[in-house]
Amino acid sequence: MELILQQTVNAISLGGTYALLALGLAVVFSIMGMINFAHGELMTISGYVLMYCGILGVPFTIAVPLAVLAAMAAAVLMERIAFRPVRNASGATMLVTSFAVAMILQVLFQNLISPRSQPVLLPEYLSQSISVGGIFIGVNKLVAIVATLVMLFVLDRFMTRQKIGIAMRAAAEDFAVARLMGIRANTVIAGAFAISGMLAGVAAVLWVSQRASVDPLMGFVPVVKAFIAAILGGLGSLRGAVAGGFLLGFIEIYLAAFLPSGMQAFREPIGLSLVILVLLVRPNGLIPAATIRAQKV
Amino acid sequence: MKHIALATTLLAALSAPAFAESDALLIGMATAQTGGLAPYDSPVVAGIRVAVDELNAAGGIGGNIMIELIEKDVRSDAAQTVIAVQELVDAGVSAIVLPCDADPALGAAGIVDQAGIPAISTCASSPTLPLIGGDYVFANFPGDNVQATVSAVWAFEQGLGNAYIIYSPDSQYTTMPLYFADVMKALGGTVLGEDTYTIGQPEFSAIATRIAALSPAPDVIMTSAYEPDFPSLLKALRAAGVTAQVIGSDGIDSPTTFSLGDVAEGVVFTTAGHPTPGSALETFNALFLAETGSASDTVFNAVGYDLIKVLEAAVLAAGTTEPKALRDAIAGLEGVQGATSLITYKGTDGMPVREVSLIRVTGGERELVGQPAPQMDLIPAPRMQ
Repeated sequence: MELILQQTVNAISLGGTYALLALGLAVVFSIMGMINFAHGELMTISGYVLMYCGILGVPFTIAVPLAVLAAMAAAVLMERIAFRPVRNASGATMLVTSFAVAMILQVLFQNLISPRSQPVLLPEYLSQSISVGGIFIGVNKLVAIVATLVMLFVLDRFMTRQKIGIAMRAAAEDFAVARLMGIRANTVIAGAFAISGMLAGVAAVLWVSQRASVDPLMGFVPVVKAFIAAILGGLGSLRGAVAGGFLLGFIEIYLAAFLPSGMQAFREPIGLSLVILVLLVRPNGLIPAATIRAQKV
Repeated sequence: MKHIALATTLLAALSAPAFAESDALLIGMATAQTGGLAPYDSPVVAGIRVAVDELNAAGGIGGNIMIELIEKDVRSDAAQTVIAVQELVDAGVSAIVLPCDADPALGAAGIVDQAGIPAISTCASSPTLPLIGGDYVFANFPGDNVQATVSAVWAFEQGLGNAYIIYSPDSQYTTMPLYFADVMKALGGTVLGEDTYTIGQPEFSAIATRIAALSPAPDVIMTSAYEPDFPSLLKALRAAGVTAQVIGSDGIDSPTTFSLGDVAEGVVFTTAGHPTPGSALETFNALFLAETGSASDTVFNAVGYDLIKVLEAAVLAAGTTEPKALRDAIAGLEGVQGATSLITYKGTDGMPVREVSLIRVTGGERELVGQPAPQMDLIPAPRMQ
């Protein structure tokens, strides 16, 4: 029983990080109809900010907001420089553009910073753990869970109470009509990228606090996980992305925890088969977007 | 632009053999400057450049054979490695440097074998590489089976006879713990269990929780996971309350391991060398700092220097830069003084006999545990996959 509880805490923590990642992809997709595969590189940028802050002796509590801000700024810049010119192009064009942005950034990191992993100095308390009723909970896990909850709450408030948030939801439903109502496309899209950057930044801090290093190709795995989670949840649906993230986290942890050791080598294919199984039953994801066929601008 | 490129290539192809026949050693570098292998290849290449500059400044090998490098980026891709190696063969090089990973290196093995040009991998440590690669493929690092023997014997001698291994079937290198398990059993120790992971796996807490629940608890955990997996695994183990001795391998000989703080305290790993006072590695580190302006932060720099020292010794022994003669000379080398250790190819199948250093992380610094010579009869045979 204790073991199940312990593994459930692990699953919530990993699922939370996946949820933040998937949300980052979903926010942009819901408005532009584009999967931004350079989302992972936003995380890498945050990681490098944490690394440089560590080298310069900037306290971690200041380094974290700086890292998140850097990802937000990078996301907005990315939209302005790379995605705005192809905004009205086909989905394939936007997809390829995002791959290109990811690759260009990776090569820049490799050549301008270092192809090797760089250590990120983290405060000792992040590596410690606390014991609650016989269950060990790592501080970084606790931080991940709390950060996920806070982010989800803030995002929900923003989307339902703030003018720009409401405008973004309107644009996600039908961009053409939203524009007729006087909503500025540039503002809404830049806002979506800023939010996706913020989510990438927070996810990056959680990711890096786990691995304590940053390398040029760091963004690849998380963006793939986010993509799977977003599809699982229902592409373009924000609540779906959260659900997909948590489900993927639970699948991965429970398989790693409870598959017999002879089957462990097949953990990944089994996990992905489960994802496919879910999609067979719910082809549009767990919580499909309200307007799957809505025209994207 | 295309014409210029073509003309340059043609010019290079035409002029290359002329150089090779005169007083130059042309080395083709098919290494990864970008992609997943770049973190390993690029420090080795930096060490190679330092060695080449040093030799050329002294008038070349034996005072008259200058070394020239032709560099190609294989982008960590097996297919690109094959293309690059073919181009280098066509350019008339005398020796080829292959990427750190056994898989792309093996992709090129057929070409170098057919062309009769010796090829050395920068830092692949899988003992199967020269076995599968054939007569012309050599490694440049202590083999996985040798490293595992050294660490298993050390653990057993410390009274840590209950082992647990964590490996990944994703690459040859990450299966090193299987050798560790073999040696541990041969010594009379027990292997309590094993776990597998995927390279780049974001989370290790499920594995750590399971190990924490084991009874009896293992007293040593061996893995050849490297960044980013190793820090993640280690943190998860410690956070779950696992206090067993953790043993790693050369892949964690990186600044990250030493900056992890308390979690990494006491971790022991095997690597290619240690700069003891007065050692060749200390001299190399000083040379590297003087040449590049930055301190060497990984032993892979020195491993690159070793590679050129091997080629230098081979050219001197063969008395020519003719590839076939060079290959035979490398295979007969004995006791070549590299930056990390003495290197011997004689009597091996291409996997050099080199010293293995056992390092312990103490207070964020490296502490030498020992440089024991492995017992030859304990070293497991290379595991074909």
